[in-house]
Amino acid sequence: MERFKQYVLELCSVYTLMSVLGAVINIIAGTETNNANVLIMFATCAIATFVLFMHKLIDNVSPLVMIIVQYVVACALVGAMLLALSVLVEPISARGWFEYYRSFTIPYIVLAGFYYYRVFSEAKKQDAMIKEIQEKEPEDR
Amino acid sequence: MKLNLYEDVNCEEHVDVYYNCMRPVVRQIIDAVDSDRPSLSGRPADSDLDDGDSVLLDPRDIYYLDHVERKLFAYTRSGVYRLMTTLSDCEAELWNYGFVRVSKSNIINIYKIRQLKPDINMKVYAFFDNGERICINRSYKKSFNEYLERMRRIK
Repeated sequence: MERFKQYVLELCSVYTLMSVLGAVINIIAGTETNNANVLIMFATCAIATFVLFMHKLIDNVSPLVMIIVQYVVACALVGAMLLALSVLVEPISARGWFEYYRSFTIPYIVLAGFYYYRVFSEAKKQDAMIKEIQEKEPEDR
Repeated sequence: MKLNLYEDVNCEEHVDVYYNCMRPVVRQIIDAVDSDRPSLSGRPADSDLDDGDSVLLDPRDIYYLDHVERKLFAYTRSGVYRLMTTLSDCEAELWNYGFVRVSKSNIINIYKIRQLKPDINMKVYAFFDNGERICINRSYKKSFNEYLERMRRIK
């Protein structure tokens, strides 16, 4: 229950940020959104928050495996969402499917690469810190 | 070894050691009294709990503590010892002496780490002088980093 509350809290924060950002972009670009787009944005935020939230849940799996699992889960959830939209709102073309997957795959790979780099750079930094602490080790610690 | 304990609220706390030979266990008692450092009492892991002498372990000799099947073990260069305490008690007691929790079941001594290195799976491992390695769990990464920052500042 506690985790569900935390998830809902994170989802609310993400959705609020995305809504404000979308509104600012609409004002600048002079465009307008519609109800379907608002719902799609909410569903996308819910999926993205859930996928990122998974990272904290399964602790004993290696980060690389977790990144792959998260991507597969994201693909499945996005697929389900697009299928629902295709049935309930209007049919989505093959190009639409491709564009949607591409639009989240590219940032996902970039961010995963950045995370990969961070793990290695942080470990290097921590290793240097340990060496520094060991060098300063007093005789009678 | 015979042990006499006297409770006297008015006296100045002191320890008298009577010995006929300076055996390692006597040396350990002296070291424990002489030093502010805590020491851990343990038995060799391969001996029965009822037999075998209990030894006092100097935290400086411990590489890491491992909690397996509700039992706590201390790994040193000379062997593995079973400790009759809990991991969280050890964590609280040894926090100032280079010991930090890196997973639900492990506390490591940062002074014994030879290298910290991630593998291809992005799991970060602490490699020790004795060739063993312990994984630093990603949910403890932040607290591990904060601990290192703190230790670096106070030295």
